[in-house]
Amino acid sequence: MKLPTSFYKIWAFSVRSALVNRRNIFAMVEMLFWPLIGVLSVGLLTRFLHLEGETVSFILIGAVTMNTVQIAQLDLSYALLYSVWSKSLKHEFIAPVRLAHILIGSGLVGLVRGLLVFMIMGGLSVYLFDMDLRRPGLEGLTCFLLGLFLNAAIIGALVLALVLRFGQRAEVAAWAFSYLMLLLCGLYYPISVLPREIQFLAQLIPLTYFLDYFRHFYGFPLVSRHPLLYGFSQSVVYLIISYGLVSLTLRSAYRRGVLLRLSD
Amino acid sequence: MQPAIAAQGIGKGFRTGLWAPVKQVLRQVDLSVAPGAIFGVLGPNGAGKTTLISILATLLLPDTGQAKVLGLDVVREAARLKERINLAASGAHFLWCLTVEDSLRFYGRLYGLGGRPLYDKVEKLLDLFGLAEHRRVTFERLSTGLKQRLSLAKALINDPELLFLDEPTSGLDQEMAQHIREEILRLNRELGVTLLLTTHNLREAEMLCTEVGFLKEGRLISEGRIPELQKRLGLGDHLSLIFQDAPAPLDYGRLPGVLRHLVRDFRVDLVLDRADDRLPAILEAVYLSERKLAQVKVKPVDLEEIYREITH
Repeated sequence: MKLPTSFYKIWAFSVRSALVNRRNIFAMVEMLFWPLIGVLSVGLLTRFLHLEGETVSFILIGAVTMNTVQIAQLDLSYALLYSVWSKSLKHEFIAPVRLAHILIGSGLVGLVRGLLVFMIMGGLSVYLFDMDLRRPGLEGLTCFLLGLFLNAAIIGALVLALVLRFGQRAEVAAWAFSYLMLLLCGLYYPISVLPREIQFLAQLIPLTYFLDYFRHFYGFPLVSRHPLLYGFSQSVVYLIISYGLVSLTLRSAYRRGVLLRLSD
Repeated sequence: MQPAIAAQGIGKGFRTGLWAPVKQVLRQVDLSVAPGAIFGVLGPNGAGKTTLISILATLLLPDTGQAKVLGLDVVREAARLKERINLAASGAHFLWCLTVEDSLRFYGRLYGLGGRPLYDKVEKLLDLFGLAEHRRVTFERLSTGLKQRLSLAKALINDPELLFLDEPTSGLDQEMAQHIREEILRLNRELGVTLLLTTHNLREAEMLCTEVGFLKEGRLISEGRIPELQKRLGLGDHLSLIFQDAPAPLDYGRLPGVLRHLVRDFRVDLVLDRADDRLPAILEAVYLSERKLAQVKVKPVDLEEIYREITH
């Protein structure tokens, strides 16, 4: 069977991302060490504070969410940074590849790594801190995970746009973006504790709604009446906007000679 | 026959800062390259060689003018054009942790290759460029020569009809540079690939190129076949006649093919349009004058001389 050429182009970026992760000890540390530290430190903190049952789950959901989104967005964010660091950007862009090939190919590896992190952290939360991950059911869990990966894709695409605009200097944005988003969306606290003006910003972040949706399975009242509707529709709109932004910055990079400058 | 490259009025400028004025790198460049040619773009550093090659290779959008490569517009039909061209640049750079084989597979997939065709293609290129024994070596561990070979192998992954080579032997030792030049000639002769290369190595251009163009401060100030340029500029081969005593009493300026002459002591220096054709008649005239020659030196015109003449 002859597969469409687009399949191989997407596969090229997936394989490259997977190989870099496999051959880079730091990528492994990133995927295993930090999530482990995250779930242990947050879990132990809940013990120290004598938190119980649902409140522990509330906090642990935040820790699992943060690490899953962080890891899942990295492969997408790094898709062009690998080429920038190795100065091979012009070789990638002289080939007949589209932005979608890069985004989907690298994003797939991010999705697999994110899923692994979620499983590791979820497993530890269940084993060490008695969190009940079965409570939301398969449908609830799937919707939540889909929401996390959509958010990771939005962050990754925005970082790509920054890399094409500012080059290597945008590297720091790969982390900063997600931390800012996570701070605003009520990761370890309900967004009602945020100042009123900031609450408005939190409502513009789809992750806020996915956390709201997932936590309601643990007995916390829904803040929004239709969290999935808001979460998914916002995610789709932001994904379209961020894809458009990356396309525009790529066009501008072709005009301004950025692809060449980043290959020197 | 449709030219492989046809560019008219190409202009490009860059800003070095947000408020800085635009620095013009290319100005109204017209270029025509025949299919199957090896065209050399020559010029000093900063002349605009890489900018020109990048525009033609769809990596940079021109500010003015238009260019067609293999009959396709480099801006509007870039996606289709990318299938049929490729690039190898000096100081090859690929992802540090990918092996030689991984890199070729990666780039092969970017051109839509997969399965058996990709496997066969990679094997063929590994053999062709002597990379088979280094196939599992990561890029960061390769020597400069091997990196350059990998760069050329990658550039052939899609069987390009036109190949851009940006300073292909820059930074290589003599032996490796010569090897790469032989590969370039072989690509052109055996596979019929049209090549456009930039270099500031005139000897290299002389060795490889069927046609050359000289860029200076963003303008293509002269282009053509080397003999045509020589003729256009009134440059010729050098013939030195060194006599045992006084030089032959001839009207050297009237001898056939003599462009310029200079008589000094026992020596006469002539500049001829074509030394090979004119030498017998000149030597016969000297013989008839019954003056004895101690030495005859012939030095063909070289690109360096043409370059000097054009750029100064």
